[in-house]
Amino acid sequence: MNRVIIVGGGISGISTAYFLTEKGFNNVVVVEEKYLASGSTGGCASGIRASFTSREHVILMRESIELWGKLSQKLGFFYERGGYLWLISSEESLKYFKELSRFHNSLGVPTRLIDVEEVEKIIPIKVNGLIGALHDPIAGKANPFKSVEKMAEKASSRGATIHTWTRASKIVTKGSKVIGVETDKGFIEGDKVLIAAGSETRKLLLDLGINIPLKNVPHHALITETFKPTLKPLVIDWDNPSKPYLVQVEEGGFLMGMELEEEPDTPLTPRIDFLPRMIKSWSSWFPWLRNINVLRYWVRYYVISPDHHPILGPVEDYEGLYVAAGFSGHGFMMGPITGKLLAEWILDGKPSVPEAENLTFKRIVEGRLIEEKAVIG
Amino acid sequence: MGEKKRIIVCRCEDVTLEDVEKAIEEGYTDLESLKRKLRIGMGPCQGRICLDLLARYLSRKLGKPIEELHIPKPRPPLIPLKAGLLEEGDHE
Repeated sequence: MNRVIIVGGGISGISTAYFLTEKGFNNVVVVEEKYLASGSTGGCASGIRASFTSREHVILMRESIELWGKLSQKLGFFYERGGYLWLISSEESLKYFKELSRFHNSLGVPTRLIDVEEVEKIIPIKVNGLIGALHDPIAGKANPFKSVEKMAEKASSRGATIHTWTRASKIVTKGSKVIGVETDKGFIEGDKVLIAAGSETRKLLLDLGINIPLKNVPHHALITETFKPTLKPLVIDWDNPSKPYLVQVEEGGFLMGMELEEEPDTPLTPRIDFLPRMIKSWSSWFPWLRNINVLRYWVRYYVISPDHHPILGPVEDYEGLYVAAGFSGHGFMMGPITGKLLAEWILDGKPSVPEAENLTFKRIVEGRLIEEKAVIG
Repeated sequence: MGEKKRIIVCRCEDVTLEDVEKAIEEGYTDLESLKRKLRIGMGPCQGRICLDLLARYLSRKLGKPIEELHIPKPRPPLIPLKAGLLEEGDHE
């Protein structure tokens, strides 16, 4: 049967359904265990940037940024290029970012170093110890739930079927071919299956005898009550080893997160030490934060691959099997280009951006890893 | 429908019964999905007022028990707390 089944209703799966149906292929079924964007997508920082340290990341994210602009206009959801600011408080980091900025510029991403005075013009910050920042003016933020909702609605209106509260328990194969997906609501037949199941991806593939080295690492984030727009860019404190970030989201709440010491595959459990440590990491830069109410705190997985790049495209062990997982904290921002590339792989056999071919599962099997150093929060 | 426009279900996010009915018609038929679609329960009350109202309304409307409607998890700190107070909790 000529049908594509997508396991996972986060941004990667829904974006693939969107682009498959845009290309005129409508026999698409999405199965999602809970509600749309209920996994890593819905818990993310909502930031979107191309200021990475690998060529693959920069090029794919640049393409993704283009698509974010077009999709948000066409479908009507919040996306704003408010930029990213990487706060720098050591000479060593300053030197590092100078080099990095040259690398970005060579690939068409116009980042630049700015001085403390300019930082103060962009954000309401107390600059104790700050020596500068890297400004990425084309980075931005979007609404995770709305963007997924709008893409899902469009895909559905073009013929895709989306089953929420449906758990995929097993990818079913016959010989070396994929023939469908077993779910808790019955068997779904299909000759192509994309696993975009975030933290469940490793388990689904292990059942097929494929060992995909992904680690699910809990990440913690909180949001405050809402205020009028005060903070345009997403801000990162690069010289704090926990790499905290702070961003004001569409509705006006301040969303922040940071890295805590966590073992892979720890259950998603709130930690009593997160709230004080999180506030402390930002309150000296933004003392006004102390007067704001914290509303809610959640924990979601970063699904980490060995080289902090996603694993995309065909899994050659089985005909008709595809994967999009292991984004290592960058799955939301990459969502649009992920969907476009996967739709191309599935329908045309080849992605339109050649760099994407460096990110297949084959690179892991053959040990051709790519390095990424700018992983945050 | 005019009446329903004046009935507020979620005070924090200003969601009316009309909004709720429209979302249900569009296929958002569980509490987790309605929360993300309409932002019900995402404001300062964190759902203490509105989610209960919504749960009972949805249960009647769909003829399903509340336990089957996927009730969102309450999240810490449960009530809005000043960030400055939380910061003082750090004794490291």
